[in-house]
Amino acid sequence: MPRIVRTADVAWEGSLSRGSGVAKAGTGAFELSVDIPSRISDAAVKTSPEELLAAAHATCYVTSLAGEIARAGGTVERIDLTCTVTMDEVGEKGHLIVASEIDARARAEGIDQAGLERAAQVADEGCPFSTLIRASASVSVRAVLESN
Amino acid sequence: MAAERRASVTWNGDLMSGSGTIDEVGSGAFGPLDVSWAARSEETSGGKTSPEELIAAAHASCFSMALSLGLAKAGTPPERLRTSAVVTFVPGTGITKSALTVRGNVPGLDAVGFREAAEEAKKGCPVSQALAGVPEITLDAELDA
Repeated sequence: MPRIVRTADVAWEGSLSRGSGVAKAGTGAFELSVDIPSRISDAAVKTSPEELLAAAHATCYVTSLAGEIARAGGTVERIDLTCTVTMDEVGEKGHLIVASEIDARARAEGIDQAGLERAAQVADEGCPFSTLIRASASVSVRAVLESN
Repeated sequence: MAAERRASVTWNGDLMSGSGTIDEVGSGAFGPLDVSWAARSEETSGGKTSPEELIAAAHASCFSMALSLGLAKAGTPPERLRTSAVVTFVPGTGITKSALTVRGNVPGLDAVGFREAAEEAKKGCPVSQALAGVPEITLDAELDA
């Protein structure tokens, strides 16, 4: 199997509270500002490591789920999925990523709700990012079959 | 205080020939961004992003913030930190490595002090802790020449 390498660069200037950084994707797909207010406040306008993780988990999991629905005999028409990542302060450990919640709505032929739930479970076990992030976070998955 | 961050993705069709889009994120800072299995698993991505690239961006930005905080606490705030994260994905195996490289402009600090602060940031930053299961997380930290 090939080793696939993906790169991102960040340039950070200044202190943590007042400084800011720019994260650039190696592929050129994005170039994004990051700063602390957007990481911890409710009114984020810039992205943050946690939002990037939410996007990473959402995209990693959605490919696993598409694969598992097909393996269960279903045909995917469309999957809509939202991932919410939570960072919290955990006693002496400081800030940790404590939870990642996935909420998927699938339109697919040849699979019922029970089959979709099984596929969603297997997809969680097979998604490399779900496996990793369990080092500090709980992962929960909810999948609902939508009628066409 | 808990901070929640959200991203939404749509996928159309099967894994191999289908494709997806990161439609939106809670902050509104990016999206739509296209993703596909081919862009993820082949050496050239055709300009599309992937979970691994997003993880690289998360790790590099989290590490930079943690290092900035650590340096300021030690009385030597940085003027500039340039960090790259290179994440390796082996299809079928998973994410096997994240390699951090940082070059810092930090008035009043020597190379040894900078490496120590960078090592602490690597250990302590929330994304490193969430990725503790990655077999290899490496660090190359030097002051700007």
